[in-house]
Amino acid sequence: MPTNPKADPTSETFIAESAWRLSRRSMLSLAAAGGAFAISPHAFAAGGADPKAKRGGTLSIGADADPIGLDPKTTTAYSSYDFTSLLYTGLLRWTPDMQIEPDLATGYTTPDDTTYIFKLRQGVKFHNGQPFSAEDVKYTFDRVLNSATASRLAATFAGIESVTVIDPVTVQFKLKTSDAAFLRYMATNPDGVIVPKGVDGLDTKPVGTGPFKFVSYQPNQQFVLTANTEYYEEGLPTLKTVVFKFFKDQSALASALRSKAIDMTWFKNPKVAALIARTSHDLVSAPGQTSRTFPVWMNMKAAPMNDVRIRQALSLATDRKACLQTVLGGSGKVGAMIPESQVGGYDGVSPMPFYNHDPAAAKALLAKAGHPNGIDLGDYIVVAANDLDVACSQILQQQWATAGIKVKLKPMETAPLLDMWVKGKWPTLLSVALSWSPDPDAILQRVASNAVFGKNMGMHDAELDKMIADARAQLEPTKRAAENIAIQQRIAENAYVLQIYQYPLRWEAWWDYVHGYHPLAANIRSYVRTTWVDK
Amino acid sequence: MRRLVIIRLALAVPILLGVSIAAFILVRLLPGDFAQTAAGVTDVSAATLDLMRHNLGLDRPIWAQYLLWLGHALSGDLGTSFATRRPVTSEIFPRLAVTFELTLIAALMAMAMGVATGLASARLRGRADWAVRLWNGFILAIPNFVVATLIVLLAGLYFPQIGIFNYTPFFTAPIANIGSLLLPALSLALAVSVTVSENTRAAVLEIAAQDFVMVARAKGLRPRSVLWNYLVRNALTPVITVTGLRVASLLGGSILIETIFAIPGMGQYLFDSITSRDYPVIQAIVLVTAAIVVLVNVLVDIAYIRADARVEM
Repeated sequence: MPTNPKADPTSETFIAESAWRLSRRSMLSLAAAGGAFAISPHAFAAGGADPKAKRGGTLSIGADADPIGLDPKTTTAYSSYDFTSLLYTGLLRWTPDMQIEPDLATGYTTPDDTTYIFKLRQGVKFHNGQPFSAEDVKYTFDRVLNSATASRLAATFAGIESVTVIDPVTVQFKLKTSDAAFLRYMATNPDGVIVPKGVDGLDTKPVGTGPFKFVSYQPNQQFVLTANTEYYEEGLPTLKTVVFKFFKDQSALASALRSKAIDMTWFKNPKVAALIARTSHDLVSAPGQTSRTFPVWMNMKAAPMNDVRIRQALSLATDRKACLQTVLGGSGKVGAMIPESQVGGYDGVSPMPFYNHDPAAAKALLAKAGHPNGIDLGDYIVVAANDLDVACSQILQQQWATAGIKVKLKPMETAPLLDMWVKGKWPTLLSVALSWSPDPDAILQRVASNAVFGKNMGMHDAELDKMIADARAQLEPTKRAAENIAIQQRIAENAYVLQIYQYPLRWEAWWDYVHGYHPLAANIRSYVRTTWVDK
Repeated sequence: MRRLVIIRLALAVPILLGVSIAAFILVRLLPGDFAQTAAGVTDVSAATLDLMRHNLGLDRPIWAQYLLWLGHALSGDLGTSFATRRPVTSEIFPRLAVTFELTLIAALMAMAMGVATGLASARLRGRADWAVRLWNGFILAIPNFVVATLIVLLAGLYFPQIGIFNYTPFFTAPIANIGSLLLPALSLALAVSVTVSENTRAAVLEIAAQDFVMVARAKGLRPRSVLWNYLVRNALTPVITVTGLRVASLLGGSILIETIFAIPGMGQYLFDSITSRDYPVIQAIVLVTAAIVVLVNVLVDIAYIRADARVEM
């Protein structure tokens, strides 16, 4: 086990081992969660403290966005997760290769498909000294599900029927239906993390069980964390202090890394990351797994986008590989609905309907749809603040023009664009990239006609809705992967969403005196806990 | 005199009220709001967003929101930032000080550069004049944020030892603080230095043709004495006026410069709060800025009265 219980090592390990060994069902479920808890050498190396590690020291991280609230249960901002992931921990967590491993839990059993009984670590304390127990787990999820909390996670965990404390180290989750996404959400920070019972004001005074404790935060300047000396993994964290420094401008971020004002950061643009990495041999640039896609959303409520032939023509007129090469310099893959790091994610090379680049066939389809002289689709709305999106939309505009499809590019400020997007109020075409989701179901819900977003976009496909619901209930991972691929093929076949490419959310880079760090597709820096610096 | 000052200050009240109402309504007319923008592409249900809006008080009628805000503002409480959940008042004044310092350094730099190049251009004529005017045209054509980005990239990539991002608060280390503001101030100052330079050149040329300068020369004064005591001193008056007028544009320009150089000033604060639709912060900054402008105008009016007997008391 990659666990190092501090309190009673013998009995704790025993419980854990027996839990894994005795229940064949639980092993099965673990595999369903995206891989077994069984230890892959990589995960093990990343999980424990490195004996060569130099202890103490400070790591400066360049951050591109301020947190918006530090209560992991009420914040809705991606930018906050970077900080909550060091302050709080949950029952499970992700390994660098996106497998699930135990964290605050030592193991679990599943007597049936809808019941999960977690055994908890003993001797764990919150940053305020309060001991961690099953009561906190129950409190955390009761709080999320209480509508007065206004937690975005209420929808995520709506499938939980009850959380019961069996004894101080055992807690039982009862689900309404079998749900393959449950463990993946539990492993995700901040979705599955545990907050202390009876402690208010976490938004500005966070109290967790994580490897680092909150020290201070000056907006736009810095966010300081210090090592949690009572952290439950032996020998971790290695660092004494972690300082996040804020740089809103990408070129400023690059220069700060180059001048060693910061030790590590991440970039939104692979070309910037590559340029920086070229300036010194001592810089490590590590793209994570592909975790997001760049889609063109089509408003199918009205003509002309409600005509499947026009959408298919658009897909045939698109040269996805050219976009990938030009915009990302090849550091990504051709995309479908689900990125590769997810269960059943698209590998970027398998055949997909209407993915071949064929402007002549596109023209023929347009002619059949009653537009022999081409068609003007009006405004194509893109996020002005995202260089990659704007660059790709310009290439798409040219590609589509060769097949007689005209669009007018309209880069827009993010706030009104999002407003338009979620309400389904864009005229014809709009692009906004999807960030990493803990489970592929969250992505597929966007094309489900029984979900708000799908409805707003004009989806009507009962068969697809059923396929999506079945895939979420499928606990067997290989079967679920196959079902997800079939779903993506159906989406491509009907061109409900025009996916262009998939890529890592961020391109991370750090100086080679930073050791023990692993990038995570989950868009958080969990592995700062094993990081050490030797300047 | 006292009565007039009171009247001027009393007139400022309706102006500030009008500004606050306009700011209040305009930020709410911007499409998108804080709840939606903070969530981004994260899947947040409409019900949760509505509850967030309710908790922030955004679901109340706009006049009720305004009256509540006004009540607090009158007692010195400008509200709490949606994003940082901290009182705006405690954030805004330290930032204002940073922006003022940056603007002041930039103004001094612009003066020094502008007067030097303007003088050289006016006195040396010929090639020097051409070189200066070419340089001025070139600098004027480049927006300050481009200059700033170039400085950041060049210094970061090729001269990492300069350390452009070591912003230090003034009271921790005053010298290091001024040092850390020099490059940002330079990128702000360049464009303004052109205005100063061209005005200096024009003023010096004009004054050089005046009789009293000719008399000074004819008296046999040394050229250096003529230059500094007769030319520069007289030419500086319009130059100072022009620089003063440009300070407002320096304040505006600092928004982008502070963002690029990661300086915790008011500009960066405003930029962030607009993109995240953090209404209380936007309103507070607009109100405070308006108050400064109104106050400066009142002071200028008073100065005129004291200086010019023709202005009625």
